[in-house]
Amino acid sequence: MSKAENIDPTPPLVRIRGLRFRRGSRWIFDGVDMDIPRGKVTAIMGPSGTGKTTLLKLIGGQLRPDEGTVEVDGENVHALKTPDLYRLRMRMGMLFQSGALLTDMSVFENVAFPLREHTGLTESMIRKLVLLKLEAVGLRGARDLMPSELSGGMARRVALARAIALDPMMIMYDEPFTGQDPISMGVLVQLIRRLNDAARISSVVVSHDVTDTLRIADQVHVISNGRVVESGSPAQLQESGGDWTRQFIQGLPDGPVPFHYPAASLREDVLELPA
Amino acid sequence: MIGFFAKLGGWGLQALTRLGRAHLLLLSMMRGLLEILRRPRLLLDQVFSVGVLTILIIAVAGLFVGMVLGLQGFYILSRFGGETALGLMVAASLVRELGPVLTALLFAGRAGSALTAEIGLMKATEQLSGLEMMAVNPEHRVLAPRFFAGFLSVPLLAALFSMLGVMGGWMVGGGMLSVDQGAFWNGMQNGIDFREDIINGVIKSVVFGFVCTWIAIFQGYDCVPTSEGVSRATTRTVVHSSLAVLGLDFVLTALMFS
Repeated sequence: MSKAENIDPTPPLVRIRGLRFRRGSRWIFDGVDMDIPRGKVTAIMGPSGTGKTTLLKLIGGQLRPDEGTVEVDGENVHALKTPDLYRLRMRMGMLFQSGALLTDMSVFENVAFPLREHTGLTESMIRKLVLLKLEAVGLRGARDLMPSELSGGMARRVALARAIALDPMMIMYDEPFTGQDPISMGVLVQLIRRLNDAARISSVVVSHDVTDTLRIADQVHVISNGRVVESGSPAQLQESGGDWTRQFIQGLPDGPVPFHYPAASLREDVLELPA
Repeated sequence: MIGFFAKLGGWGLQALTRLGRAHLLLLSMMRGLLEILRRPRLLLDQVFSVGVLTILIIAVAGLFVGMVLGLQGFYILSRFGGETALGLMVAASLVRELGPVLTALLFAGRAGSALTAEIGLMKATEQLSGLEMMAVNPEHRVLAPRFFAGFLSVPLLAALFSMLGVMGGWMVGGGMLSVDQGAFWNGMQNGIDFREDIINGVIKSVVFGFVCTWIAIFQGYDCVPTSEGVSRATTRTVVHSSLAVLGLDFVLTALMFS
């Protein structure tokens, strides 16, 4: 299967070319090329520790790559000056794994926060907008609760309401399904798809949850060992003949990603023989 | 031997890098002053949590330190028949040294550690990253108000500490030990010099407030975002602040009174 190519004539919303990034001496990304199309749900999948969250931080300009470029809506993220980067971020929403709600503010205040920071709207207008955003995620009735009073799923929905407060062009979801019960999971899956289609935004979902991510994604990029190993539609990926993708999609315990962490042979270890 | 020097060099480079980061953060917080001037409410909220909530420990400590000074001072001075100088002794000790130093140490333990833990936890729970992604600079919006609140609060808390300390000294000297009250207050009024004693004490507390709050905020912002990392950062805040206050006190005293 080929890597993502511009099948769609409209330019991609995010264009990543030759991305290299390392932490210490370990290369997290070693030449990643990736396109994220407009108006679709794009999933970035891979096992834990492959740098999926790091990729979102690189797209959002929170980390700088060692080499390569990341363009969002035609702007080279890492060449922007801080005010321009902040202007770009106002058009990007991000849902963090933990929700990242401000713990000293109520649900209402959290959703109102970006509106108060970046718009000169009146309080009555902000109130209406916040209630509408909370209605969209089904939590209008929870507006007076504090983050400590919310369940994990509710916190993520509030964070989602906050992420869409400024009507962004794209939303990045960092492991939105981790640790969710089936009901919360179903709600989140439905919300991501519905928001993407109703508000005509582009969604980037980073996850290792195969079933639910493939259910809502239009396009999937699978990354491993610092590279994109496969890209395509969920159906294409499920029929993939690649060993690595098959192991990941089917959850096989052994394969290109070995069950055992690299070590000396069991005989040497148990009998304490010199290596 | 080479390994030892390599380790030493690595440690030195790491320390210098951290120092550089701390100064960059300070610069950024200074730039955040514009944001505070635009929205003073941010500062007022932090003055409450950093300063007002520290008043109780400062007041109680100041009162007891003054009472102990009164007691100890009386026993020493009475050996030479100099009890009438008790007021001067208590006030000079508090205004010049104990007020600024002990206030800063208590501030580092109470408010400084709380600041580090709060900022460290905000980092661990991705709240600071969340702000960045909402196009809000956390150094201006979160850190700068806390920095200026600490910087402003310490001199005021030191003044409160000294004032209550003098009251404590007077309660013991004038109340329990029958030192002449007129002599107590007169000695203080005549012996304490506004510029030499009070202004120098205020300068000390301003410097201590600046350093303690800077250390607390940097440790929180620079910590490893795990429970262990936050715990270590909180410990470092108290240790580094205390040592910085004691070291700077010596330097400032030498400069001021030499």
